[in-house]
Amino acid sequence: MLQLLIAGLTVGSEYGLIALGIHIILRATRAVSFAQGEFAIVGGLIALSIVDALHVSVWIALAGATLAGFALGIAFERVVLRPAGRAGETGATIATIGTVFVLLYGHALVPSWGSEPHPFTPFWPSSNVTLSLSKGEPPLVIPAQSIWVAALLAVALVALYLFFERTYYGKAIRAAADNPLGARLIGIDVRSTRAISVGLGIALAAYAGTIIGPITLVGGAAGFALTIKGFVAAILGGLESPVGCVAGGLVVGVLEALVTAQFGNDVAEPIVYALLLVMLLVRPQGLFGRRDAVRD
Amino acid sequence: MLAAFAVVVVVFGVVARADAGLVQAGTYVAIFAPAAIGLSVLLGNVNQISVGQAGFFGIGAYAVGYLTVNQGLPFWIAAPAGIVVAAIVGVALGFIALRFRGHYLAMATLAFGLIAVGVFHASPLLGRASGITGIPFPQLGPLTLNGYPAYWAAWIVALGAALLTLIVLRGRAGRAFEAIRNDELAAEAVGVPTRFWKIVAFAYAGALAAAGGAMFAAFLGLVNPDAVGVALSVDFLLMVVLGGGGLVAGALFGAALIGFLNVAGHQYDNWREVVYGGLVIAFVVFAPSGILGAARAPFVRARRAAAAKAARAPSRAEGHGTSFPAVRAPSDEPLRVDGVTKRFAGLIALDDVSFALRAGTLTSIIGPNGAGKTTLFNAICGIGRPSAGRIAIGGVDVTGRRPHRIAALGVGRTFQNARLFDEMTVLENVVAGAPRAHGKDAAANASALLARMGLAHLAGVLAKDLPFGERRRVELARAAASEPWLLLADEPAAGLNGDERRRLHADLAALRDAGTTVLLIEHDMKLVMAISQRVIVLNFGKVIADGDVATVRNDPAVVAAYLGTAS
Repeated sequence: MLQLLIAGLTVGSEYGLIALGIHIILRATRAVSFAQGEFAIVGGLIALSIVDALHVSVWIALAGATLAGFALGIAFERVVLRPAGRAGETGATIATIGTVFVLLYGHALVPSWGSEPHPFTPFWPSSNVTLSLSKGEPPLVIPAQSIWVAALLAVALVALYLFFERTYYGKAIRAAADNPLGARLIGIDVRSTRAISVGLGIALAAYAGTIIGPITLVGGAAGFALTIKGFVAAILGGLESPVGCVAGGLVVGVLEALVTAQFGNDVAEPIVYALLLVMLLVRPQGLFGRRDAVRD
Repeated sequence: MLAAFAVVVVVFGVVARADAGLVQAGTYVAIFAPAAIGLSVLLGNVNQISVGQAGFFGIGAYAVGYLTVNQGLPFWIAAPAGIVVAAIVGVALGFIALRFRGHYLAMATLAFGLIAVGVFHASPLLGRASGITGIPFPQLGPLTLNGYPAYWAAWIVALGAALLTLIVLRGRAGRAFEAIRNDELAAEAVGVPTRFWKIVAFAYAGALAAAGGAMFAAFLGLVNPDAVGVALSVDFLLMVVLGGGGLVAGALFGAALIGFLNVAGHQYDNWREVVYGGLVIAFVVFAPSGILGAARAPFVRARRAAAAKAARAPSRAEGHGTSFPAVRAPSDEPLRVDGVTKRFAGLIALDDVSFALRAGTLTSIIGPNGAGKTTLFNAICGIGRPSAGRIAIGGVDVTGRRPHRIAALGVGRTFQNARLFDEMTVLENVVAGAPRAHGKDAAANASALLARMGLAHLAGVLAKDLPFGERRRVELARAAASEPWLLLADEPAAGLNGDERRRLHADLAALRDAGTTVLLIEHDMKLVMAISQRVIVLNFGKVIADGDVATVRNDPAVVAAYLGTAS
């Protein structure tokens, strides 16, 4: 049971980071990025290529993939979100779905990537941490990778918190997201805060796709499923609440692990999707959100 | 357009009969076309996005697979069964969709599509991951529908679906869809049951997709979860975006294009999909109305310019003294508001408001900004349920009823910001004002009404091209189209010049003289004093004065409210 909890929290960290990226992009552009999971996959693959090609440590690869994610995000905003935003919310949504196809089938065209997932170098080449809880019961084995994922999740959250709360630019982004016109009037360049927000959101996805790499492999066609789980997490915690997004991700991860252990993967996936529908219907503002944030 | 497409289908069928590959490609197009047409109605006509269309396609396909292979039933029973099931599931999804718009709706429908695939994938009855194989070809008398005959059978179904959709869109459903797409709230206010029609649209789109899915299973002989996954939903979206949403021929065109690109590019699997993704983005950005929409654009522009030109011509027979058909309220008391209170989080917008109107009178509501006037109108019209109190219209308690049901009683409404259906012509706007009238009558009545109001020259102009002052009168015409016995007019004269104001004044007086009870929100005191029998003054959500013009003008509380002294 505890073992499952740890496995769930580990993948849940990835869902939470993807949800957080969706949240940041939604706040800044009023568009939901359906491509978030796909960007996580591409981020993991970029990290893989950096390790393979340059023979550098995974830490440099992680930094490289995150930066590449940021650059991809800027491009995504410029080429897709900004122009498509003029076609309204439905148009922007459809365009991000188009982006999913470009990334999903595009990454399969890269010879060293292909459509199959690859193993990824662990962040810490060590064995597991074993805890004996009580006599007679099997000891609790915490994979070192899970500890790293948790630590890296915490690093990302602290960095984001400091950026948004303590820096001028972070505050400018929040101001521009809350009231674009007002922000413009006090001299904030709303176009560039939007671009940077999307860059951050995609960088988070790439970061998430890389840190989970040693556990779930990198690459493959799982991007859309990741997006959906990110949605479920975001809806569960409240699309408008960053803390909720991360908490929602952890909840989805644990839930998925429990249902999978009980009924198998075939059943777990539809149950997670059904949870999305139920949440949308019953409490679209999320467990932590406010009611008035949802309509229109 | 549809006829031209049918000719192409026949010519292609004759020319390509010797080439099995081409015939098969053509059959594929016909199999995917109905789902694209259904999605085109949803997306283009009702402005509801769905990323779950493949789920319905899957229901049709699996119904045929399961019922023919496992139950031994003939295709002709299995296929309709699948269509019915899909329509029922469509109703359910429609109910869910009522709660959302935009990206929330995209997520909800995507979740539906994924759940459908998940169920197909997990169900032992449906063959799990490997699906159902060995589905028999449909038998039509002595004819086995396979290969070349399948081409014709599939196209009869696809073109039948297209024709049916055209007929549906020309009728009441089409008018309702168009009104919903333009402005949902205004559609409700003129009496369009928007929830009902949205659910109908989802059920219809689902049924059409299932028809395609049934053909898929029967003509290919197999179905599996991968064939009906999210990728197919996105393909359907692509067909609609490419061809042009809201145009039946556009959906057919998009299906044909994608169908042949699929065949032409079958050895470039990944490249093909990358191109599709790029095309979706490019079309959303550069040609949101699709190829057919873009091709039609010059004609649409020309028609718009011609209409605008006709509108500039001096209007003849202005007729001072518009008259409206006489109407009668079903009771002496068309409206009774009883202790109505409306609270928004922490704010009391209406505080125990009570009054009743006598039939055939014109009453004005005045009060400073934020006094609760529009909130009161909304409460009467059913937009937002009052927190307390009751509202009776024509002696019927309507508290908590949906706006369209209140409108259907005989209540007209205009909005403070003139909510016309912008993408529709003036005539279409007025026709939409009487959603229960039938085809020809509706158009004739609307034309007559426009002529009476001296607006006939504007009939063909798109509402969004109207000058501000005309928008107000056209909205009044739309409200009058259903011949209401109670009319709520929310600042109809705001922003009008003197001449326009006088004409509006005359219209309102004429409506009252025809027997309509008018409740008017107005800031222009001169207008209020000139035409009202009675004035009700609201301040901070409370009625502070109520009586005839002279009484109210001299009421100290009213003077205080307007001059801002403490009362």
